[in-house]
Amino acid sequence: MSKNFTKELEELTKAEIISDDTAEKIRNYYHTRESNSSTMLIAFAVIGAILVGLGVILIIAHNWDNLSRPTKVVFAFMPLIIAQLLCGFSLVKKQGQAVWVESTSILLFFAVGASISLVSQVYNMHGNLGAFLFVWSLLSLPIIYIMRSYAASLLYIIVITYYAVESNYSWSFSMNRENMHYWWMFLLVVPSYLMNFKKSPHSNSIRVHNWIIPISLTIALSTLSHRSEDFLYMAYLSLFGFFYALGNASVYSQSKRRGNGFLVLGSLGTVSLLLTLSFNWFWERSHNTENIFGLEFIAASLTSIAALALIGWQLKQNNNNGIMLMKFAFAIYIVLYILGNFSPSLSQMLINVLILSIGINLILSGTKEDHLGLINYGLLVITSLIICRFFDSDMSFIIRGLLFIAVGAGFFTANYIILKKRKQK
Amino acid sequence: MKKPLLISFVLVALLQLAVPLKMVFDQEKIIATGVEYKFRIAPVDPYDAFRGRYITLNFEKNSFEVLNADTFVRDEPIYIYLTTDSAGFADVADVSKKPPTYKTDFVSAKANYFYDGKLSFNLPFNKFFMEETKAPEAEKVYREAIRRDDIQNAYALVSVKEGQAVLKDVIINGISIKTLATKHE
Repeated sequence: MSKNFTKELEELTKAEIISDDTAEKIRNYYHTRESNSSTMLIAFAVIGAILVGLGVILIIAHNWDNLSRPTKVVFAFMPLIIAQLLCGFSLVKKQGQAVWVESTSILLFFAVGASISLVSQVYNMHGNLGAFLFVWSLLSLPIIYIMRSYAASLLYIIVITYYAVESNYSWSFSMNRENMHYWWMFLLVVPSYLMNFKKSPHSNSIRVHNWIIPISLTIALSTLSHRSEDFLYMAYLSLFGFFYALGNASVYSQSKRRGNGFLVLGSLGTVSLLLTLSFNWFWERSHNTENIFGLEFIAASLTSIAALALIGWQLKQNNNNGIMLMKFAFAIYIVLYILGNFSPSLSQMLINVLILSIGINLILSGTKEDHLGLINYGLLVITSLIICRFFDSDMSFIIRGLLFIAVGAGFFTANYIILKKRKQK
Repeated sequence: MKKPLLISFVLVALLQLAVPLKMVFDQEKIIATGVEYKFRIAPVDPYDAFRGRYITLNFEKNSFEVLNADTFVRDEPIYIYLTTDSAGFADVADVSKKPPTYKTDFVSAKANYFYDGKLSFNLPFNKFFMEETKAPEAEKVYREAIRRDDIQNAYALVSVKEGQAVLKDVIINGISIKTLATKHE
């Protein structure tokens, strides 16, 4: 909105031609119109800033041998100082202008990392990637809050995820590296996400966050794997259950599925993990009972409690979105796991029944919502289950063949009926 | 524009500058006041020596006879106590899990594997960064030096102070590898 126009509005309200209310409405209207048209501009500014940032790093990383050490050091600080000045400028003069804020924040984010790595290069310092990522992300964290930058928050999450992986998977296996820093570093970015979510829950940046956050957590959870993988599976199922329930929360379910990473990841994660756990090998192998109260146990407990609390709260709010069986799959699995200690084959069979019921439920809710994707997803779940059973069950070829024909026919008829229905409408 | 926001921005900016600055000061201090050691370089698998922009150095002294080697864990931080041999090159006086209590130069390193009564270790200054276009030339110089068997004269110049070390240069037959690589072009 131009300054002149703002002035005119003030004049009009002063002269009592329009009310304060109307003036506010006009301002809001122009504000949203501007923010829509600038989405593309922001996207290009973000990409541009990333490219420029990387380009500057590459040029300096050339490591000009002819330059003296002090000159090299000065060059190492240049990108950082320039980015800080630009950021300061957009903070003072261009506040609220997303293009400026986002692009300068990205530049600063990269500049912080660049200056540290350039200094280590000048002095031939033995690189410890984990320590570098740790310092880099902590020094960049304030950018998210001071600049109110979405892009910085995304980059931060990506860098700390890299850090979690880097610091927990070392080349040598003799050292048990239990590096927990990721978890509190992740918690530090949550308030910014919640603030932005409150402001505009359906914005593009929130949608990207809705994917990046669950992906980051999914990757980071695997770094807890040390001794007892049984509990890690449990932790994963509970985490996916939590994602699925969260994705079905009323604030999220209003947005489209492609903007709801929690829902999609939660659902896909639950189904694929259940399929993995439906194999013989999982139930037949000897389960490691030593060290059961390790990290994985804590992770499984925490994620299960979080998922149960969320689902319980949603039920209280009468939120019945999503498929109940999918939501509670993690809890059912916990029961089956305990049961598996006494009768593995029964647990294994019940897992198969659970997957089948989830598939059927998906098809039913797809039919109800007239959602072709959901129906096909359900059919895909059932098909995958049958394919998995090809490997370890003693079903005769005739029964397997009949099952496939039945599911194939199901695909055809379901799609045919839905499409026909839509045409009639 | 709120004032507290601007103040916190300035503070953060100063902090962002302080971290690399501290690194520069620490390294410069080691270079200025540290003791210089010449670590002899051993021939390495030439295909492994150069990875783009830096040379990976392999040191002649990369293991030490220890009695209680089985107590060392791989990747565990260890301390290499330094001395100088008769030819003026760096030598290992002792290897320990703890920094020395008496006055002697030492560097921190990581324990590698234990073999034949010897504990091998990785010295922390085994990367020498070079201009990317010169690295391939440096590779040729290095290979020729190995072929001529006068690798004895190749060493890394390292400044050591209080356990920290800075790799200053790589010298082959008295000349810096940077100069050699430029001449070779």
